[in-house]
Amino acid sequence: MSAALRSFETQWRTRAPDALQPIRDAAMERFLKLGLPSLRDETWRYTDLRALGAQSYREAGCETPIAATPGAAASSAAASSAAAPSAATPSASLSLVSAGQHAATLTMINGCPVLDADLPDINGVEINSISELYKQDSARLRGFFEPASDADQRRWVLLNTALFIDGLYLKITQPVSTPIVIRHVSTGDGAQAAHPRVIIDASPGASATVIEHHLSEGDITPLNNSNTHIALGKGARLEHYRVFASGAGATHLDALDIDQAQDSLCRQFTIALGGGLVRSSLEARLRQPGASLESYSLLVGHQDRHVDCVNIVTHAAPNTQSRQTARAIAGDVSRVIFNSKVIVDAGANGADSKQSCRGLLLSPNAEIDTRPQLEIHADEVKCAHGATTGRLDPDMLFYMLSRGLDRETAQSLLVYAFLADVLTGMSVTSARAAIENALISQLPDSQTLRKFR
Amino acid sequence: MLKISDLTARVAGKEILTGVNLTVNAGEVHAIMGPNGSGKSTLAQVLAGREDYEVTRGSVTFEGQDLLAMRAEERARAGLFLGFQYPVEIPGVNNVYLLKAALNAKRKAAGEPEVDAYEFLALIRQKMKFMQMSESFLTRGVNEGFSGGEKKRNEVLQMLVLEPKLAILDETDSGLDIDALKVVSTGVNSLRDPARAVVLVTHYQRLLDYVIPDQVHVLSGGRIVKSGDKSLAQELERRGYDWVMEAQVA
Repeated sequence: MSAALRSFETQWRTRAPDALQPIRDAAMERFLKLGLPSLRDETWRYTDLRALGAQSYREAGCETPIAATPGAAASSAAASSAAAPSAATPSASLSLVSAGQHAATLTMINGCPVLDADLPDINGVEINSISELYKQDSARLRGFFEPASDADQRRWVLLNTALFIDGLYLKITQPVSTPIVIRHVSTGDGAQAAHPRVIIDASPGASATVIEHHLSEGDITPLNNSNTHIALGKGARLEHYRVFASGAGATHLDALDIDQAQDSLCRQFTIALGGGLVRSSLEARLRQPGASLESYSLLVGHQDRHVDCVNIVTHAAPNTQSRQTARAIAGDVSRVIFNSKVIVDAGANGADSKQSCRGLLLSPNAEIDTRPQLEIHADEVKCAHGATTGRLDPDMLFYMLSRGLDRETAQSLLVYAFLADVLTGMSVTSARAAIENALISQLPDSQTLRKFR
Repeated sequence: MLKISDLTARVAGKEILTGVNLTVNAGEVHAIMGPNGSGKSTLAQVLAGREDYEVTRGSVTFEGQDLLAMRAEERARAGLFLGFQYPVEIPGVNNVYLLKAALNAKRKAAGEPEVDAYEFLALIRQKMKFMQMSESFLTRGVNEGFSGGEKKRNEVLQMLVLEPKLAILDETDSGLDIDALKVVSTGVNSLRDPARAVVLVTHYQRLLDYVIPDQVHVLSGGRIVKSGDKSLAQELERRGYDWVMEAQVA
């Protein structure tokens, strides 16, 4: 047994039992039996966790860091706009909603929700602690804790289920126009592990925008093993963002589960701008006819960052639709992986799926791996996929140089243009602007590039 | 202004230019004609600084400077402009932003302040009107979804905004209908100036009815085989390129 596994087991055994204990025990027993995923596991073949497994982890604490208070967040956002544009690493100061914008902000510190008197009051949104709600009404939440699975992409979710301290449960009951921001603040040291958990449960006909923003205080942070579960009722609509913007020493293992009922629409944006190791998975189940998923991934490899993104989309009902658009860029010695799989179940006729993945290599020492896959068990389906990876187009570059532009400016503009398909899909303009800003700061010649926006 | 001496160049290992000699003085318009594959576009691209075109011999000076020692962007800022035969589409990069960046790069190199946003918009609107281009060009990506004729107008628009000392226009007339040809010609003529020079690379004589050249050269087999005044273009139109080549052999 690895040091990591032993330390997780110790945490589990020493933790005081709670209402979720039978579920936690089942998950932990399965996790211990299966162990950490390795390069031999299908969805982990590009990400080596041996170094991570060799460490021991303590439970990350819930103490409030300074930046988690709303006042401090606002002032640090102001400071960031004045900061030198050459700052390469986005930090806790990246603010996804502008100061003037109406937004509701919730904070989780190392996975512990901050549920104090300042909790925003949003019409149509119920905010609860998962553990409190489970104590009161376990039936409401049981569906969000599925039976323990052996699938390798769910390995860390097992651990999350076993060890998460508490989590946020958001019930969206009607159309909500105010964007809801969940700031996942990570603080502490590398010998700690946190297991943030979020449930977003949208009633039939409800709609909302939820932005999950993962950020860190300082460069060295606890191991982050987060899980978000989205359930959309009939006709519900959700625009969901998960933005990884931690320091260069951060490790994120994030799993997103999406369950969609009839005629629901989920627009999902996965943005990897920070962190050292980011592994994000998305598993969507289009459970009833008319369910539709749009998944956008913007994966930025910078310095020695490793980004591994896995999407598994299951069309489980007729006339369901999925669109996946991934744009990966890799510079320096970074590595970016995008694996997507579309499964069409038997009987899901009329399923319509498209996967478009484009990679852009900015350095000879960077690497991009893309693998679109299809698994079709129905006859009448439309499934298209395309994956290309290349360098900047020399004709485009020469055209811009021949007009007198600096090489760096020309390159940055082309990179920026490459990502436009994802950026233009974002409907929260302040989030888009902040993401663009953070993105630009990781590109060469960021100062010039800012003038183009 | 431009002096090309015994220039040879290779593309993908193949010798395309085999010894070009050409002198263009300020105030002049030169036409370079020639059959397909004679090296016309290669010459234009080499002059603009395309890196994958390898110069193997010879020299080129531009206003007394060693042009071949300059990078493409330096050549542009020094006042050399290439109008592309096939302008590339760059989706996601705004047409006007590119032009503004180009103008500012040139001004910066000349030690001038950056252009004011308001002034720039006024300038570009005026030039667009002159080129009979619709306002939609302001918001579109560089050449994105433009027709062949729109792309060529856009090249001339860029030229008018950047006001180069030396404009090399590579088959800017090809693919244009007669109305577009007139607009493009008017644009080129508006740039004629004792301090500037224009090199028109063209396959056909018809552009030269509108932009009257001072000299006409025939490029064949990678070098200039015949030079003359505008009557040479008319003779080529009448007798075809074979006539020049046969004369060469004889």
